[in-house]
Amino acid sequence: MNVAITDVTRRFGRTLAVADVTLEAGPGVFGLLGPNGAGKTSLLRMLATVIPPSSGRIRLLGRDPGSYGQRRQIRRRLGYVPQNLGYYPGFTVVEFIEYFALLKEMPSAGVHRAVAAAVERVGLGEKATAKLRTLSGGMLRRVAIAQAIVNEPDLLLLDEPTAGLDPEQRIAFRALLRDLGQDATVIVSTHLVEDVGAACTEVALMDRGKLVFHGSPADLTARGEGTTAAGDAPLERGYSAVLAQTRS
Amino acid sequence: MTAASAGPAPIVPVRAPRVPFAAAGRLLRLELRRNAMPWMVPLVAVLFWLITYRLSMAHPPLWNVRAMTMQTTASTVFVPIVVGTAAWLGSRERRSAITDLLAVTARPPWARKLATWVATTCWAVAAYLGCVAVLYVVTARQGAWGAPLWWPVAVGAASLPAFSALGFAAGALRPGRFTAPLVAVAAFLALELTAQFIHGDHSYWQVSPLVAGPWELAGDQGVATFYRYLPDLPIVQLMFAAGLTAALLGVLGLPASAGGRWLRRSAATITAAGLVAAGAAIWLAGTGRLDTHGMIAIPVLHNAADDRPIPYTPVCSATPIPVCLHPAYGSYLPAAAAALEPVLAELAGLPGAPVRISQAAATYRQEPGNDVYIGRDGPAMTETPPVYHLLLPVQYAGSTTTGAFAAEVRRQGGDIVNLVIGGGRSATGAQQAVAGALLKPSALPPGTPVAAAAQRFAALPPAARHTWLMEHVVALRAGRITLAELP
Repeated sequence: MNVAITDVTRRFGRTLAVADVTLEAGPGVFGLLGPNGAGKTSLLRMLATVIPPSSGRIRLLGRDPGSYGQRRQIRRRLGYVPQNLGYYPGFTVVEFIEYFALLKEMPSAGVHRAVAAAVERVGLGEKATAKLRTLSGGMLRRVAIAQAIVNEPDLLLLDEPTAGLDPEQRIAFRALLRDLGQDATVIVSTHLVEDVGAACTEVALMDRGKLVFHGSPADLTARGEGTTAAGDAPLERGYSAVLAQTRS
Repeated sequence: MTAASAGPAPIVPVRAPRVPFAAAGRLLRLELRRNAMPWMVPLVAVLFWLITYRLSMAHPPLWNVRAMTMQTTASTVFVPIVVGTAAWLGSRERRSAITDLLAVTARPPWARKLATWVATTCWAVAAYLGCVAVLYVVTARQGAWGAPLWWPVAVGAASLPAFSALGFAAGALRPGRFTAPLVAVAAFLALELTAQFIHGDHSYWQVSPLVAGPWELAGDQGVATFYRYLPDLPIVQLMFAAGLTAALLGVLGLPASAGGRWLRRSAATITAAGLVAAGAAIWLAGTGRLDTHGMIAIPVLHNAADDRPIPYTPVCSATPIPVCLHPAYGSYLPAAAAALEPVLAELAGLPGAPVRISQAAATYRQEPGNDVYIGRDGPAMTETPPVYHLLLPVQYAGSTTTGAFAAEVRRQGGDIVNLVIGGGRSATGAQQAVAGALLKPSALPPGTPVAAAAQRFAALPPAARHTWLMEHVVALRAGRITLAELP
């Protein structure tokens, strides 16, 4: 398993953000759904080794992120796009991605080729030498995705990756996700249920810090059939039904 | 709730990079290209021109004066800008909200921050050296004697990494949009205030990079021309700058998030070593003393070989008695010779008259507080052959106007007359009259017998005066000539 977490809890002061979550994930695209404040971002930040869990056990890529040496090894094989995307406005697209490639300790000789490949993969070839300050929000999101995949990660964590992308780019991005999921574990946290339906092989739903559903998108759709749950699409109705059940 | 995915993922073996320095070099190149410091270079250059260059160029082309003035004023120009820019870059990660992205990278944060700091410092030092190069090239083209002084340049250049580290650490540890301006102003004020605390030659505050020598004498024209520039204080200042740099950079590696245990231990060791070095430098600065040649000597570091005078070939005037100056002061020769020539014409060839007027080195002594006594190194007149040792006004009065310079040299011309004819405080009436006649008869109280004799003697043709003096100067000097015996 690339991701194996057991009874993981995370508190911020008195706030319980993630409560006793246990989860395993191998290669494939894993959708993480949930309403605002469900704990998706906190869970993703723990998986990204940004923050440690308050309790519980996490193993990523067969290693313990609690150990500094193993954490570094995990980070070399990790890609992460946070929800709030920061960037250096004076860097060009290529420089920004190269910067992260170097920080991920990629072998120096392969950096140039890897950066060029990542830029092409997110469709930013024409903007490769543009300063980040000149890019639109959607383009910046693609830059963030490019820096995440530049090291061909075994574990890719994406927090709201399609926010700001136009429909054409979202379709291309879903294809990219499916491609990446062939070999790597891709965990996508999103509000957009249609992204999950189109790209994910597995889906989990979080509410109030707890994991309340895990299965395939088809399973989630099935949970909404025959109910009066709100939603314009079958998957949305499944999502609403699971939440309603959990809260009742 | 537990969930398992379809199949186990193969764990790709993770390999460490094989050429870490190549990656570090690329990282540094990126930081150099996108650093904020180059944007500040025009501002620094303008301020350097306004404050340092113009002030230095107002002084004559003497390496000591130009270099020491440059050290003091360039620090004032560079420090606030370097500190502010470094603080801005130190807080860049937090300001750009990129901390989460960076937190998941494998390279230790300390190494990442060091790359940014190194790039910032490289730009700052390059800008500094560029400005100094212009100043030094112009000084060399103006015909400054001797070799450029590099210690003041080294102190200035070494202080920039320290101040850059100070700003960077402040920005990294207390990120915020106001951090940069606040620390820039604070650093400027702190730097300027340290100079106010200097009290005498034993002050610990002499470790400040502003201090280019005894604080009261900084940029004095008499220092480091006849004798070597003492590297004692610069060595201590370099030691302090290096220690401060190490300590501040080490502090960046102390937080738990900075890296692994080994790296944090290294950072702690570097911090401790830096603090020890900086503390030792401060202590050494406190042991300084003003040496007789006008520099701060640190006993522990002092090399006696540095006390030897620098050999030189003087430049001399074509006056009846040659006036010979140190070549560094060659530009003053016409003015000095012109001021002395009337007197020298009268005295030339007289028994006991000097065969040469030779510029003397100044000697220095620390007085209470910040006062410094500056005098002539040795007696005014030495025998066999008689040589008068002239101290130029610029050697003890700093900058002076042309008129004041000539008046002060003429006053020393009076000393020469008094030494030859035996004048002075206990002079006889005849000696006073002759001195008055040779120097300025109108300066004597009118209506007195001495003034009348002086006017009578002054009215003689120069040849007659000189002939009389040739015959009677020995007796006159011995006080055996009366007023009535004067022609």
